Amino acid sequence: MRHAWTIAKNDLSLRARDRSIYIIGLVAPLALAFIFNAVFGGGISDVGETITFEVGIANVDQGPIGAAFEDVIDSIASDGLLEVTTFDSAQAARSAADDGTVGAAFILPEGLSDAVLGGADATIEVVGNVDAPTTTQVASSISEQFGIGVRTANLSVATAMASGALSPEEAFAAAGEAGTADPAIEVGSVEAASRQLDSAAYFVAGLSIFFLFFIAGMSITSMLEERREGTLSRLLAAPIKRQSIVAGKSLASILIGLASMTVLVIVSSLIMGADWGPPVGVAMLIVGAVLAVTALMIAVGSFAKTPEQAGNLQSIVAVTLGMLGGTFVPIAQEGFLAKLSLITPNAWFIRGLGDLTGGGISAALPAVFVLLAIALVAGSIGLIIAGRSLRL
Amino acid sequence: MSNARVLEATALKKSFGDIHAVRGVTFHIEVGETYGLLGPNGAGKTTSISMVSGLLQRDGGEVLLDGESMTTRSLGPKQNVGLVPQDLAIYPDLTARENLRFFGQLYSMPKAELTKRVDEVLEVVGLADRADDRSSEYSGGMKRRLNIGIGLLHRPKLLVLDEPTVGVDPQSRNAILESVEHLSSEGMAVLYTTHYMEEAERLCNRVGIIDQGEIKAEGTRRQLVELVGQQDLIRISATGVPDAALEDLRRLGGVDSVSPADGTLELLVSDAGALLPEAMRVLGSHQASVSAVSVQEPDLEAVFLHLTGKALRD
Repeated sequence: MRHAWTIAKNDLSLRARDRSIYIIGLVAPLALAFIFNAVFGGGISDVGETITFEVGIANVDQGPIGAAFEDVIDSIASDGLLEVTTFDSAQAARSAADDGTVGAAFILPEGLSDAVLGGADATIEVVGNVDAPTTTQVASSISEQFGIGVRTANLSVATAMASGALSPEEAFAAAGEAGTADPAIEVGSVEAASRQLDSAAYFVAGLSIFFLFFIAGMSITSMLEERREGTLSRLLAAPIKRQSIVAGKSLASILIGLASMTVLVIVSSLIMGADWGPPVGVAMLIVGAVLAVTALMIAVGSFAKTPEQAGNLQSIVAVTLGMLGGTFVPIAQEGFLAKLSLITPNAWFIRGLGDLTGGGISAALPAVFVLLAIALVAGSIGLIIAGRSLRL
Repeated sequence: MSNARVLEATALKKSFGDIHAVRGVTFHIEVGETYGLLGPNGAGKTTSISMVSGLLQRDGGEVLLDGESMTTRSLGPKQNVGLVPQDLAIYPDLTARENLRFFGQLYSMPKAELTKRVDEVLEVVGLADRADDRSSEYSGGMKRRLNIGIGLLHRPKLLVLDEPTVGVDPQSRNAILESVEHLSSEGMAVLYTTHYMEEAERLCNRVGIIDQGEIKAEGTRRQLVELVGQQDLIRISATGVPDAALEDLRRLGGVDSVSPADGTLELLVSDAGALLPEAMRVLGSHQASVSAVSVQEPDLEAVFLHLTGKALRD
């Protein structure tokens, strides 16, 4: 261990003189986080803020179904999720959607209620603005869910009529009531989840772990450079264990990574107002992330024969895991990509920080354990391969 | 095994795929001895010393350093070896002092001793006045000297120098050779590889001539020369040499022939160093006037040519 520390100190000294480490470790992640936060910040996931979608509605139907739909929309609007503009005609609604006055418009055509209550097919038209795909998607979902509710009610009434329980007059009245009953749709709150980072912390976290890959990659590239420069022969000829060389190089990267992440957290808190959560939890996650990323980079780099090869391999891995892990843009909470993101330390680090802010240290422990497990597995593989490949 | 043997390498073998780089190389080095491995590029010199230094796993054979087996994972024997690789093995962003301190720490030198020893080595290699400059700012010769300094910092029993003068200007080259001579005179065993015949002749007590992974012949320069039957040629520019003097010269032991021509006598002898004083005494006793003397000894280049059928620089 003493020799590993000697090698680590030497590496730290050399990297301190190579000023690029300051760029990779501090300047670049902080600068990019500033930019990302300025561009995307506040529109994605600010805690406590509610996203409002601007929609329009043209109810030409004037029947019970149209009225029921308007009630649903009013109900959602009252929660602050929709800002509704009413139009007199379908054409006016279309124009408003086209010119961007609203993000999307619902058009309830004439005869909608008659068609629905008569058992025929009918359509609620949703017109979306090309620049407001999210609003359009939300509007489509609302109308779709409303349609499901109406179909269910119609099916129930039809069944009752077939069994003789309702007369046609009663059935008509029941169907009208079904349309005006509580909406069958449950529009979940689009408010940001309580366990999510603020945008400043999110971008600094994502970018700091992204650049951490390049800091960690130096452990292997430094060894390969020593081979090329000839100094590796001196290290191998010295009375030290070969593992000390790998350990020393890794230790240097780990220390630089820890310093970089710590400084970024402090600076982003002071300058950008980032809220990271309890410091102990943040420290645990940082240690886990640094160990995991360093181990991954050793494992990846140990397959390379030259510093250039190692650099290329590591860049590919860093960018791929960065994309998958939500470094640049948040990954959806569900679906295939969400599951895939869990192979990355990036996602676990960000998820851990989110859990930390929402649920405290205990909530972040699973992420810490996963990061340490990644470090253990990748580190074991990397150290074995790197140790074996440590030759002239 | 003699206790005086610092290094004993026996039947070393190493192959890289189908290439048999070293095929049964055997040699030993004693305390205070400088042993040269002389051979052209690709002869197997660097591979041999890499096995000796514990850098390279050997396929066969044995290396004993002060009686202990050396492998790539040996720690004790490595403590006794100082390696000076052919390529510069220094950190250009560090100063000479920092380079020395770092490598000294890897040899577990106590702090106080290391500080003192670093200063000593800086003096030995002539870098004391530039000790705190980054080595990237040094000339090629200074870098070479620092490269050597790192190798001898921890007072190894065996200093291994792999072609230390390649690409060095004549002045620095001479300084390096003088350093090696100095170290040898202080009792350090030196393993010196070179393809420069003059360096091997100047520095080495014994030389192993290596080619195609095998030591073709080994011994002192004299032994090697005798091995191929070559003789020294003494040229004496002299006037007033009577026939009786020529007869007396021919009767001296070790003289094969005496040829007078145009005021010059050419004597083919087995050992010019031993015979020259006798020859001068004979000429003096016959009142001959000697104006110049030169000795041309057969060199290792000729020996190498004889043994391998090719020149050293082929």
